[in-house]
Amino acid sequence: MELPVVPRRPIDLDPLQRILEERYRPQDHQEAQELIVGACQEAQHLYGWVPPQAAHLIAEHLGVTINRVYGLLTFYADFRTQPPGRHYLWLCYGAACYVAGAQRLIEVLRDEYGMDEKGDLADGILSVNVFNGCLGVCDLAPVGQLDHQTYVGHLTAEELRALIERLRRNDGVEGSHGGSH
Amino acid sequence: MGVLTDRRAFESYVTAARSRWERLWSGDQWVISVGISECSIAKGALETYRHLELVLAAGHIRAVLRRVGCAGWCFAEPFVEVKMPDSPPIVYGWVTTERVPELIDGLRRGDLHADWALGVRSVEPWRGIPPLGEHPFLRHQHRILLEHAGVIDPESIEDYIAVGGYGAFVKALFEMTPEEVVEEVKASNLRGRGGAGFPAGIKWESGRRTPARPKYVVVNSHEGEPNVFKDRRLLETNPHLVLEGLLIGCYALETPYGYNFIGGEHALALRRFQRAVEQAYEFGLLGDNILGSGFSCHVRVRTGGGAYICGEGSALMYAIMGQRGQPRTKPPRSVEEGLWRRPTVLNNTETFASVPAIIRNGGAWYASLGTKESTGTKLITMQGPVRYLGVAEIEMGLPMRQLIFDVFGGMRPGYRFKGIQTGGVSAGPLREEELDVPVDFDSLTSLGGMLGSGGFVVFDDSVCAVDFARYLVAFSRYESCGKCTPCRLGTPALVEILDRIRYGFGRPEDLEIIQYASKHIIELSLCGLGQVAPMPLLGMLERFRDEFVEHITERRCRAGVCPLESAVAVR
Repeated sequence: MELPVVPRRPIDLDPLQRILEERYRPQDHQEAQELIVGACQEAQHLYGWVPPQAAHLIAEHLGVTINRVYGLLTFYADFRTQPPGRHYLWLCYGAACYVAGAQRLIEVLRDEYGMDEKGDLADGILSVNVFNGCLGVCDLAPVGQLDHQTYVGHLTAEELRALIERLRRNDGVEGSHGGSH
Repeated sequence: MGVLTDRRAFESYVTAARSRWERLWSGDQWVISVGISECSIAKGALETYRHLELVLAAGHIRAVLRRVGCAGWCFAEPFVEVKMPDSPPIVYGWVTTERVPELIDGLRRGDLHADWALGVRSVEPWRGIPPLGEHPFLRHQHRILLEHAGVIDPESIEDYIAVGGYGAFVKALFEMTPEEVVEEVKASNLRGRGGAGFPAGIKWESGRRTPARPKYVVVNSHEGEPNVFKDRRLLETNPHLVLEGLLIGCYALETPYGYNFIGGEHALALRRFQRAVEQAYEFGLLGDNILGSGFSCHVRVRTGGGAYICGEGSALMYAIMGQRGQPRTKPPRSVEEGLWRRPTVLNNTETFASVPAIIRNGGAWYASLGTKESTGTKLITMQGPVRYLGVAEIEMGLPMRQLIFDVFGGMRPGYRFKGIQTGGVSAGPLREEELDVPVDFDSLTSLGGMLGSGGFVVFDDSVCAVDFARYLVAFSRYESCGKCTPCRLGTPALVEILDRIRYGFGRPEDLEIIQYASKHIIELSLCGLGQVAPMPLLGMLERFRDEFVEHITERRCRAGVCPLESAVAVR
């Protein structure tokens, strides 16, 4: 499967502007405030992160201060205010995944691939979001979701290493559903 | 579809939808339904669906291929239900892409693949396949919220109406006063399903009593605990049910403003609920002057971005208002001053989803289910090495032992039961000898456990009590919003002590320090989440004290999990 790679282009604000004008039309200031998070999610969806220009555009469009926008971007775990790596791994850290070895995977990422506190690997190939909740697919534990579409289940340290190698070589990644019974 | 302008138009639409629904199931074509929700997508259900399309077209089979939601049996996904012209619907589990051609070819030849079947949807067995209701996973369940899960298409309002959807709302709207609706909910003794167990009817009544306007009704669909996923499955499988409950809530509060707050990380639940709202507007079941009754209602969907604290009522309201989701001191309670400082009634997704059945069948009917103090049914998610992972709906009061060993199938081969963590990250575990406790609000609490939002984790001997306690407290440390000191500084202190023990530097007095520090956090924290953060640790310490002592005095971890031997590497 071909994976979408986050483009390293200058930020084009037009698509965000269009979305805001189409779908983010608050009736009053009250509703405008309610829409900040949603608008930031649109930006993150488009760019893989929320660039400063996008944050300013949102603030201007909704008539709120930039502080309000950054207050939320830095509060919620899902938002990124720095560009992400080329691929994105959502790694489940629910109880079932923890018990099945998710902690070991995090150690591998930290010790062998230089994952920093933001979850970025040293060579920029991958950004990891250690999900402090539950993906709700516990029989695949430990499980991750690659680039918002491919699930990789029953992940071992070796498979994680192999996965990162394939991403580096830009090979496709097959999802693993735990197979049939 | 035009807007339904009065009750007659609604009723005649119901009749039409119902006959279309019956024709679908009695026609001479095949009806094939694939369960598509976040859990089955993870296991390849979309590929199965596409493959079915190809195989059916290639075989020139006259068939209707449908999408349905999660039916709770996550262990058997991807699942496919096949209804042939002369057979009852047969539900098959584990239908991965490579099995699709074999299944369809087999069925055409008359080979039923009974070994892949979970059961038939009928009372009687059919050609050697037992009824679905006799499957061990389903036999002890009582499905009200999940009645149509895996049967109707979650993205079709027509399917929902065909199976009786919005009937309760229309009944409330035309046959009941808002006071009567509240009375019915009070009579049902429905208690809040988010964990606190506060009676919903009483909350609604206090919301009515507060004179300020406008008022708001809010669904809390923010699910952030590391072992709970029932609300998002409910939204993925039957979003209209939650919306109908919300509409009834708005009617009871006589307010046109409803909200649903869904965590942004639950993308499919969010999308399907949004779709449900759009469809309800198209049908005139949302909007101004609904069905000519004079009652208007507008529902807004709002999302957060991954913060456990947003599941706390006051924090959730700040999150909707576009502030950082941090809780505030109470009083005033949110029924007096909530969203936009107006009276706000906030309940869990599952609570709202229970309301339509209560209005349809009466509060007394609902109160007759479950136990005296915990009425009705409860959605349960269970994790760990049990056989049937998934979402179950049981009547309150089912013994825990039966829940683990019958409904969820007991331990997988090679695993021995050690304990079960209850109440998400908010309570302690239970041991084998305590499993005869009924699963309801009060019985579990009396043992130091908690029903919470119904998320349980079974663990075996390979899990170390100290290490697991550390995981649960570390979750609360990470998710602490940082507003109040006891939680912000207290939970890291607990993690530090536990790390000391895990690395082999524990001291005997550490166990007292844990008690002492926990007492501070419990008594002084601002919100409910801080007040329960040390509970899993205290519970583990009480149930598995000898393991803590072994770590400290013998530097031994019997599960072999803790990094005791690498003690020198640590400061």
